[in-house]
Amino acid sequence: MTDNLTISVGRRGPFTGRTWHLHVLSVVCVLLIGFPLLYAALVATQTNAEVFAFRLTPGSSFGEHFHKVWVERGIGRAMWNSLVMSTLVTVAKTVLSMAAGLAFVYFRFRGRSLVFLGVLVTLMMPTEVMILALFRVTSDLGMTDSLWALVVPFAASATSVFLFRQHFMSLPAELPEAAQLDGAGPFQFCFRILLPLSWNTIGALAVVSFTYAWNMYLWPVLVIKDASGQVVQQSLSALRATDQAISYGPLMLGALLASVPPLLVFLALQKPFMSGMAISDK
Amino acid sequence: MLLILTVLAAALAAVVASRGRLHPLAGGAVGLAAASATTWTFAGCALGGDVTGDNTGVQRVLAVAAVVTVAAGVARTVAALRAGGGPAGEAMLTELRSGRFRTGAWLPWLLLAPTLAILAVFLYYPSFQTFALSTKLARMGAPRSADVCLGNFAELLVPSPYLVAGLPPAAVAVVAGLALWRSRTTPGTASHTAAAALSPLGPIATVVALYFVFAPGRTGYRGVYVATLGISFGIVALSMTAGLGLAYLVARRFRGASVYRTLLIWPYAVSPPVAGILFFMMFDPTAGVMAHLAGVVGLDFPSYRTDGVLAQAAIVLAASWKWVGHNILFYVAALQTVPREIVEAAAIDGAGAWRRFVRIVVPTIAPVTFFLLVTNLTYAFFDVYGTIDYLTRGGPSGRTTVAIYEIIRVGVGTGDLGRGAAQSVILFIAVIGLTVWQFRRSEGRITYGGGA
Amino acid sequence: MKNRALWATAAGTAAAALVLTGCTGSSEADTAGDGVVDVWVAFTDDARLGFVQEKAAEFEQKHEGVTVKVQGFDNYETLFQQMQLALDGGDAPEIVHYFEAATREALDAVGPDGEPVFQSVSAATGDRDEILGEPVVLDDVVAPAKNYYSVDGEFYSMPWNTSSTIMYGNQTMMDEAGIDAMPETWQDLEAACDKIAKLADGPEACITWPNHSWWMEQAMGQADTNLGNNDNGRSGRATEIDLDSDAMVDYLTWWQNLEKNGDYLYTGVQRDWDGTRAAFSAQQVAFLMSSSGDAAGIDEESADGGYDVVAGRMPYDADTPYGGNLIGGATLWLRSGLDEDTTDASLAFLNFFNNPENAAEWHKVSGYVPITNSAVDLLTEEGWFDENPNFKVASDQLALAADTPASTGVLMGNFVAIRDVITAAAEDILVQGDDVEERLHAADDEAQQLLDDYELLYSGE
Repeated sequence: MTDNLTISVGRRGPFTGRTWHLHVLSVVCVLLIGFPLLYAALVATQTNAEVFAFRLTPGSSFGEHFHKVWVERGIGRAMWNSLVMSTLVTVAKTVLSMAAGLAFVYFRFRGRSLVFLGVLVTLMMPTEVMILALFRVTSDLGMTDSLWALVVPFAASATSVFLFRQHFMSLPAELPEAAQLDGAGPFQFCFRILLPLSWNTIGALAVVSFTYAWNMYLWPVLVIKDASGQVVQQSLSALRATDQAISYGPLMLGALLASVPPLLVFLALQKPFMSGMAISDK
Repeated sequence: MLLILTVLAAALAAVVASRGRLHPLAGGAVGLAAASATTWTFAGCALGGDVTGDNTGVQRVLAVAAVVTVAAGVARTVAALRAGGGPAGEAMLTELRSGRFRTGAWLPWLLLAPTLAILAVFLYYPSFQTFALSTKLARMGAPRSADVCLGNFAELLVPSPYLVAGLPPAAVAVVAGLALWRSRTTPGTASHTAAAALSPLGPIATVVALYFVFAPGRTGYRGVYVATLGISFGIVALSMTAGLGLAYLVARRFRGASVYRTLLIWPYAVSPPVAGILFFMMFDPTAGVMAHLAGVVGLDFPSYRTDGVLAQAAIVLAASWKWVGHNILFYVAALQTVPREIVEAAAIDGAGAWRRFVRIVVPTIAPVTFFLLVTNLTYAFFDVYGTIDYLTRGGPSGRTTVAIYEIIRVGVGTGDLGRGAAQSVILFIAVIGLTVWQFRRSEGRITYGGGA
Repeated sequence: MKNRALWATAAGTAAAALVLTGCTGSSEADTAGDGVVDVWVAFTDDARLGFVQEKAAEFEQKHEGVTVKVQGFDNYETLFQQMQLALDGGDAPEIVHYFEAATREALDAVGPDGEPVFQSVSAATGDRDEILGEPVVLDDVVAPAKNYYSVDGEFYSMPWNTSSTIMYGNQTMMDEAGIDAMPETWQDLEAACDKIAKLADGPEACITWPNHSWWMEQAMGQADTNLGNNDNGRSGRATEIDLDSDAMVDYLTWWQNLEKNGDYLYTGVQRDWDGTRAAFSAQQVAFLMSSSGDAAGIDEESADGGYDVVAGRMPYDADTPYGGNLIGGATLWLRSGLDEDTTDASLAFLNFFNNPENAAEWHKVSGYVPITNSAVDLLTEEGWFDENPNFKVASDQLALAADTPASTGVLMGNFVAIRDVITAAAEDILVQGDDVEERLHAADDEAQQLLDDYELLYSGE
């Protein structure tokens, strides 16, 4: 059991033995999990008739479908709208939650626990359940059919506040004292010390927030009806009916295209992520 | 009426007395105030005697239960806060460290202001409205609405006030009795072990009691309850175990691991409706790829579309597939924090791979498991609408009609706002109940934060 | 410090996005009376939404200064809901596309000001023969559609996509099995199914159709039985529903038996238009009942699949006197409270949209019933029906109907939700083998509750 010659003292995480069996296992898992998407990629090239006739070879309609999805239906525009919305939600959520986490951990004020409980309880109040009441509010505020309706209600999140609070509490207790001794105020402390120590949490939250916003469907359907403001999930839904009956090819192509941006966000943020999650740092 | 008030007062007194800690008066006072407020806004009609509609008995029982629960909850919370956290079980409220910066009292409020403002406008206010709507007969676009008191709730329950009043307290009694027994016995003794072994009976009693409380029959809510329970727990169990297993595989550092990670997380980037459509196509009993593949090896692929159990399994599979990436994501990150030295030391001591995994890895990542349990439950309860809508449309015969699907069908689809709101309130209470239970259960087992 | 770079990129994107909100955030002020005719339709497919957009453009060219803005929605339910929300927000469109089940609700709809949302098209037209030069087509509309959408002598909304339930047969398969004509009755169909079942490499089942409440409504029309009191809601508000009539029990029992024998293929999903049609085009069944509006698509798919399709009427029970089949589909409703110019522009568009040439073109594009008599004449002259006999079946079937409340169709509040109740009952009967009478009785109670609620809120009784 001592053939682990690559041990580097103090490093963490599961380690490697010989890797060929890991590759075999990983490939099998990837094929299993990826099967539906591979199938989707196949369908994206086929006509309905080819789908029903069950051909495992790529069909001839990829170009036609791409033209339909990208040019005729302009999914690019919807993806752009979604990108703007998801980025805004992600950034707003991160900033607001970090500020709230800061307040909960590094300040003492009256009613702190009660306020935290108040925030935490919203973890269990998803918008889906009160979607109509929520609509009324946004409509009263005159935000319907605008980007604001897609971003503002989701800019605060109990999950993120909770995560940041746990993260800050796991950091060494001496940090703020040291900072104060150096004469740093709360804001300098936040930007100079906390931020560099928080990239892993920020990365995790960004991936989750972005994906959540990107995949929102019910809410955009309610608040956005203007064609130019539609988000990607709405255009996917409309792709189901390019013909009178459901046409699978363009739909699958659209779905695959739509799954790329969240994946890119993950790829971009993978590094901080792999340095571990603070929630479990003891 | 007098009788009800007496019951109420007795319940309150019991709650306050049971605290037996600091400031029972303060707790009691706030509890009483909250109870009165609930009575007035929510249950007033049932207690005041002008109940309308069918099942007036059930409505009265519900009203009393609501008031007592709110009073008890508020009294407990206040007392717990006064006592500085502790036995009430709000693990989150336990103060691990006092604040550091003292620059003006306004600064923390300024930092919290945007979050609190958004929560107030877009969460508290709509949820208050949902509560108010749940006591009304209201339709989207209708010129007027009508008060139906707790009729929307009573409709979902068995028509017998005795069952509604009797079963949940019985379940609570089982839970409390077991807890009491356990706390009275000394650890290590046989009776303590027995008490510990019997502790799952509490949740089981609750689940069973609720089953008999919801209205039976094809048009009753019991079917929704069963479907929600089965599908939600199926999703949580499958997506979490699969997530942990896959994460354990690809969290290692080997060439290509990051490619595998990315590919495994890919389904997370797919939206719930698309996941539904994908599995709808794959599992199509005649034209689907699974049927064809089964045919190739000479098997008959059963149709999930007309078989309730298979349909539930299909939903669990599709929804877990979509979500497993989320769990891999967090588990991969968590696994980076497992200290190598300990694992290696255990390996040198001759602990097998499975034992190392169970004894060292699983406990180390417990906080993340807990965090995921909460987020997975939320997903399974609230975000499966799109998947179900495309995969089964709630069928066959309502076997995959889960609570959120029914809420959206009733409240948004047919515009029946009052009934939709009442069902939302039930789901809301259920999720809060589950989460609180989880927090309490995991309290002694997981240590949060505290840079030790 | 790669992370810093990422952070900066994210912040940059956010800033760019904020600038852009100026564009996406301000949809044009969209109030009634701005000279723009907003048209909301419940189609998003190229053929049907495309048709409306094309006609809107033609209309704009013909009438300078009028803008017709077409907006498509996924389905009627979403559109209905969006309309309610738009009314609250004060930017509702001029013309809305509602399906037939929502007719009572459209009649009852009131805005936030308590005024009716829609006005009768016939009242708005008055005794004019043309509006802005567009000849009025109201009197020319075929009788079944006109009757359906007329209440108390007022012709409320402009019919558009109108269809009936018809049956499509796979001619190739029928020839093989020795079935020489399309079955017209339940009994014919059973006999034909026996022959299909005997085919050596025959299809999986004989027939399929969507589990949609529309079929139950059709069956009631055929058996001349009302679903609601007060003459199916035609002589007064319907306040009572009858879902457990003998006719309904008969129909569901027949259907249940067909399923038990393996002749009927249940796709297992409610309102499964796509799945049933896919089963037919994959030749898993010999017959398909569907909307006549599917004729064009089904013809096209049969050409791809290399088989012939023949259409026939919806089978009825030979042992019960035939009442008639009813229409389905949707109409275009006109908002009230518009200024005169907008009203006239909207009316002109509606009449232009249904002028003989356009109505005939719409029929050819889709297979929906030609909505005016002159469109029928035009198509006959062209010889269209001789070449495409399948496209005539629905019109012929509708013409057979006696003009009774049962075959005109029910007018009832909360009917969209009641349809769900009916469909759910049918599914239980098919999938779980529930006792037909018992299950229908439960459905009747549930639907009655929904109707009572509706009446309480809308008529105050």
